[in-house]
Amino acid sequence: MANTYSILKNRAYLLCFIFLVGSCTSTPEQKVQKEETAAHKVYNVDIKEMKFQPAELTVQKGDTVIWTNHDIVTHDVTEEKNKLWTSGPLAPGQSWSLVVDKSADYYCSIHVVMKGKLIVE
Amino acid sequence: MKIKQSIAVFTTFAIACGALLCMSAIGQTSAKLTDPEIASVAVTANQIDIQYAQIAKKKSKNADVLKFAETMAKDHQSVIDKAVALVTKLGVTPKDNATTKSFLAGATKTKAMLNAKNGNAFNKAYIDNEVAYHKAAINEVENVLIKDASNSELKSLLQSALPLFKTHLAHAEMVAKEFNK
Repeated sequence: MANTYSILKNRAYLLCFIFLVGSCTSTPEQKVQKEETAAHKVYNVDIKEMKFQPAELTVQKGDTVIWTNHDIVTHDVTEEKNKLWTSGPLAPGQSWSLVVDKSADYYCSIHVVMKGKLIVE
Repeated sequence: MKIKQSIAVFTTFAIACGALLCMSAIGQTSAKLTDPEIASVAVTANQIDIQYAQIAKKKSKNADVLKFAETMAKDHQSVIDKAVALVTKLGVTPKDNATTKSFLAGATKTKAMLNAKNGNAFNKAYIDNEVAYHKAAINEVENVLIKDASNSELKSLLQSALPLFKTHLAHAEMVAKEFNK
């Protein structure tokens, strides 16, 4: 009886070990994906004094850009030529992010003279 | 047709010059404004532009004019909300003064002029007035209100409103091109 208990206990330890080793390793594909994610950068654009600062930003494909509205009025961030993407209204203090996949001219559709540019290298 | 255009250009120019001269005269001859007086000027000036925008929203059918008017109504209300919150916090009661009265007198005439026009004549009159009004407001904020403000938070609010008014001016000038070809 004691022997059977000992065997079951050892098998339980073995199963736990296999589970832990399995969860700590990953396939080569998963590894590449993680490294790529880690390699992507995050950039900040301040919407301040009725300007996008910086107004022009050079990034790599897959990088993230975060816009934050520091002004006293609502703004938005909208792709200018074909309206491919937009943040929607950003109240003072709000932020919005975009994973950039191609270069774009953008503007604030509320204050149409406010313009910015994303350049993907 | 050319004579008509020339008269229209001259009238617009005369209104703009009148507004600017009036504002600069106020700035030069008045004694230093107190913070309660500055609060009154700031709130009144913003309220007037909201009233102009309300007239435009009622009378215009032009998409660019309507969009501009919508932005004016929202932005100037945001400035009023900030100003009211600040004076409430500071315990300041806005006080009428010569500048406030001058703004209100000008607004009464302008609203009558706008209400008497229709169609493209209205669009042109509204947007030309917005150009002139924002030029006058920028001059007043930059050269009088910011300089006269004693409280640092009031000064800071006026400073943050200045780029907003300059952007409104650039936007108005852009829309005005449509009606001044």
